[in-house]
Amino acid sequence: MDAFEWVRLFAGCLFILIGVVIFFTELFGVFHFKYVLNRMHAAAMGDTLGISACLIGLMIFSGLNFTTLKMFLIIVFLWFASPVSSHVLSRLEVATNDHLSSYCEIYGDVETLEQELTARRENENTKEEGGTVS
Amino acid sequence: MEKEFIYHPIFIALLILFSFMLLICLIRAVKGPRVADRLVAVNMMGTVVMVMISVLALLLKEGYLVDICLIYAMISFLSVVVISKVYIGIYEEQHHNQEKAEGGNADGRV
Repeated sequence: MDAFEWVRLFAGCLFILIGVVIFFTELFGVFHFKYVLNRMHAAAMGDTLGISACLIGLMIFSGLNFTTLKMFLIIVFLWFASPVSSHVLSRLEVATNDHLSSYCEIYGDVETLEQELTARRENENTKEEGGTVS
Repeated sequence: MEKEFIYHPIFIALLILFSFMLLICLIRAVKGPRVADRLVAVNMMGTVVMVMISVLALLLKEGYLVDICLIYAMISFLSVVVISKVYIGIYEEQHHNQEKAEGGNADGRV
């Protein structure tokens, strides 16, 4: 084996190691968080970044041929499909949960949320100014 | 020939590691308290299985296994979307029926 082969081996192993670490982070997050909408955040990371790192490592192993092209197609497809499936899953959760307000804060529309946030920010500003004065 | 001895153990170790991950995902799918939990776990299992099929394609030197992986990705995406849409429909229908029944009772009392 010449030097180029060794470089290819180590680069591929590095990418696959990154992918495996990301998959373990995903599993840890899914068991660590307590609610679905939080778990989804951890699960979506492995869907795009984890499989991308693993398949890039395998692409480096396989060299330049049609297999590499197909693996690249899988990565591109998952980049488009994973956010859509996450969106649909969160819609499922919001539509079917009767006690959603006990898990997270709910605002009727965006304007109320913005009003609430600006009110909170102003409140914090006045608090800080009061603190400096006193 | 030397290349074989280096790559073969790496692929076998990866397959064993990913099969353990699959088992852990299955535990999440069984434990998940809500339907969305189970669907998230099934989605994760699909991702891990895709990586396993790609590793197998390089291990067996069969390029067509990656085609199967691509089709698996599409079917996994489709299954998640269709199951969640169907479940939303079923839930809304049940809700509608309940409201109808309650409304009917109220009218009957009056």
